[in-house]
Amino acid sequence: MSDPVGHQGPAASGPASAAGHAGRPENVEYRVAHLHDRLAAEELGELGVRAEIRAGAIALTGTVPSAQCRESVLRIAREELAGLTVHTDIVVADTTRPDHAEEL
Amino acid sequence: MIRVAAVGDIHMGPDSEGLLRPAFETLPDCADLLLLAGDLTRHGSPEETRVVAREVRGLPVPVVAVLGNHDHHDEQPEKVTAILREAGVTVLEGEATVVECAGGRVGIAGTKGFGGGFVGRNAGEFGEPVMKEFVRTTRRSADSLHAALKELEEEGCAARVALTHFSPVADTLAGEPPEIHPFLGSYLLAEAIDTAGADLAVHGHAHLGTEHGMTAGGVRVRNVAQPVIRRAFSVYRLGSA
Repeated sequence: MSDPVGHQGPAASGPASAAGHAGRPENVEYRVAHLHDRLAAEELGELGVRAEIRAGAIALTGTVPSAQCRESVLRIAREELAGLTVHTDIVVADTTRPDHAEEL
Repeated sequence: MIRVAAVGDIHMGPDSEGLLRPAFETLPDCADLLLLAGDLTRHGSPEETRVVAREVRGLPVPVVAVLGNHDHHDEQPEKVTAILREAGVTVLEGEATVVECAGGRVGIAGTKGFGGGFVGRNAGEFGEPVMKEFVRTTRRSADSLHAALKELEEEGCAARVALTHFSPVADTLAGEPPEIHPFLGSYLLAEAIDTAGADLAVHGHAHLGTEHGMTAGGVRVRNVAQPVIRRAFSVYRLGSA
């Protein structure tokens, strides 16, 4: 599922924009690192979400333990990656019982 | 035949209260015991641990657990352990326990384990004190696992299971970036399992990994992190073949 949570910004406009017009180009890589730091440090303690730069957008993937955790991840991502295009594929862990056993 | 249910990385908090209980209540239909492979909480707080305790308290099958790195984050693993034990969970750290099942006695040797990586790509006990301590932490854990498995050898168990949070092999990390493998497990755990002997090794920790693997010595390894198995628990039947 693709769930845009931001707007297309300078970093999403292709390589040409990476050089910037004036001043330093924005370094998206460090913003992704800061997102990871926040997901781990705040109420979530979340280390299982991956954020990767793909074609100028950020792709978030992973499995979280509850719907509320998913909402928190999306909120923090919106804050940390404001102005960037973010695609999220965060799923909530399945808590159903297994339908078979493995014979060993 | 012994039926082992296992799950790790359930990462419970107040908002996930009750999510696993309905599936856990069906355990007697399909399993003789439940293994919890660590990371039962998000930060290892007493509040989160009490959610886990309520999830497993009074289950009709024995519950055996190890803690994970998340359960250590608040730096009070003794408190986490005490709350779980009060709820009837057998919490292992470098120890063994024996569970009597209809199909025979099953021995479980458990430790959290730690990182360091896998042969040829592993950290060494060399250099700065913090680096040496990193590897020694894993070595102590592996040594305790070895001793616990050996202890079970004397117990006349129909099956022995090694329960860890960190992975003993790289097989079950497939899907994780190889660069972080040294933070996900250590071959020292596998060496302990292979030299002491076990019928199954169960771990968690690697959410992006895969369920199935094997040690160099041929012991089956299963990564039961909940994001990997995509259900409340997995069930393995030992001795049915």
